[in-house]
Amino acid sequence: MTALLETRGVWQRFGGLVANSDVSISVGRGEIVGLIGPNGAGKSTLFNLIAGVLPPTQGSIIFDGEDVTNLPAAARCQRGVGRTFQVVKSFETMTVIDNVIVGALVRNTVMREARRKAHEVLEFTGLAARADVLASDLVPAEKRRLEVARALATEPKLLLLDEVLTGLTPTEAQTGVALVRKVRDAGITVLMVEHVMEIVMPLVDRAIVLDLGKVLVEGKPADVVRDPKVIKAYLGDRHAVGA
Amino acid sequence: MDKDFAARRRRDLIIAAVLAAIAALTPLFVKDVVVQNIMILTLMYAGLSQSWNILSGYCGQISLGHALYFGLGAYTTELLFTKFGVLPWFGMLAGGAVSALIAMGLGYPFFRLRGHYFVIATIVIAEIGLLLFHNWEWAGAAMGITIPIRGDSWLKFQFLRTKLPYFYFALALCCLAWFVTWWLENSKWGFWWRAVKDNPEAAESLGVDVFNSKMGAAAVSAFLVAVGGSFYAQFVSYIDPESVMGFQFSLLMALPAVLGGIGTLWGPVLGAAILIPLTELTRFKFGGSGRGVDLIVYGTLIVLISLALPRGLLSLFSRPKKTGAAR
Repeated sequence: MTALLETRGVWQRFGGLVANSDVSISVGRGEIVGLIGPNGAGKSTLFNLIAGVLPPTQGSIIFDGEDVTNLPAAARCQRGVGRTFQVVKSFETMTVIDNVIVGALVRNTVMREARRKAHEVLEFTGLAARADVLASDLVPAEKRRLEVARALATEPKLLLLDEVLTGLTPTEAQTGVALVRKVRDAGITVLMVEHVMEIVMPLVDRAIVLDLGKVLVEGKPADVVRDPKVIKAYLGDRHAVGA
Repeated sequence: MDKDFAARRRRDLIIAAVLAAIAALTPLFVKDVVVQNIMILTLMYAGLSQSWNILSGYCGQISLGHALYFGLGAYTTELLFTKFGVLPWFGMLAGGAVSALIAMGLGYPFFRLRGHYFVIATIVIAEIGLLLFHNWEWAGAAMGITIPIRGDSWLKFQFLRTKLPYFYFALALCCLAWFVTWWLENSKWGFWWRAVKDNPEAAESLGVDVFNSKMGAAAVSAFLVAVGGSFYAQFVSYIDPESVMGFQFSLLMALPAVLGGIGTLWGPVLGAAILIPLTELTRFKFGGSGRGVDLIVYGTLIVLISLALPRGLLSLFSRPKKTGAAR
């Protein structure tokens, strides 16, 4: 089976800074793939390129067999790419249910159906009790979940999660992990950027490590964390020798 | 929850129908021409502000140049009527269409601007429009256009002996603008607009066509405001650039919505019901020497509102939100 998402030799330069250089990754259908790497590795840039916030300087992005390199974010959403934002971007003056309805309108043109879909997603993500609350009144963990709910309402094939588990209490993070598993069980492929290794590693099927804009290592989580190159990237040379 | 929502929508519609019915009956009891005049203007500004609210309140693109569309509505109608004998009813639709097209034409470059930059652009464009009409000989230039009086007629939409037809038209306009808002509020457009206002980047990631959302809002908003302009021209039967395209109209469309509650269904009506009678009365009380007093009233109200109720008067009535932790 072909990959759901593929980046082919993707470069992104911001002036003199090379954020991504020759990144080629692929994500298979039904996988949970973790995108990790130290600060400044180019994870967020790659993420934005895949979501269509900006086109890459060079290279191409193939989604579901189609070249989407030059499609804007809204068009990619229609084709099945859903995303969350690292810094949450709720529609603050709207209620939780209304936030989710915006996402549901991508595939439901009739309001009543969009509303029903939105309720369904709130039930799925455990936000049903907060449906009529203003998004601005949610606590941070709930706002993260609302990001996921909104993206799920667009009925994506691929869900891009940008640090949804970062900055949560351990209990909240565990609830988040359970939700990601549930999403995958619903048949949605997940690509997640994450900082907290001990949470992410048991969750993902495969990890891709970026460093200095390049793919450093890619493989099973257990192998990746033992890889000397990864340890070096995170902790420096001295520790790599020890390993 | 769906039932709650549907019930709320129905309740709004019933309240609006009752209010409209009461308004429609008031001329039976109010015979004073001055008061009738104030009621007509109040209804007109309520409708205008409601229309302004679509672009600026719901979609978040604050315009202080809507006087342009008001003036275009007035001029299109009267130019067609005086030069080509086209009935004002058709002129009204033509004015709406012209304004909607120009709003979209202007939106094409200006919707790239954000925040204050957009606001400034709208002010400048309206001022340019004003200057163009000042110097356009064929359209009467600074002298303006006097609408020829042909006697009371619904066909030509002019009435000398009574103000009642104007009253009912203004009421209809207000109801139309309200109903359009009510209807769009629970449509894809309504949701897109609010999403664009709150966070365009997130909206885009959810498949919202941000640019076309703004274009749509601008077109609907400009169309309705232009219809108001056509009505006003017939009502005062004389127009010149200042009297239909002056900056004060832009303000008088924005202020009721801001006062009542920007981006809300009832805000503009509530705001207009308070603001317009107040300013008309002060103007009436102080006569010619009182020019400027109404501006003091606006200023004071705005300061009070921004200090005490930044989300408008309507926030006094909104039910307290459940802010407790999740169950």
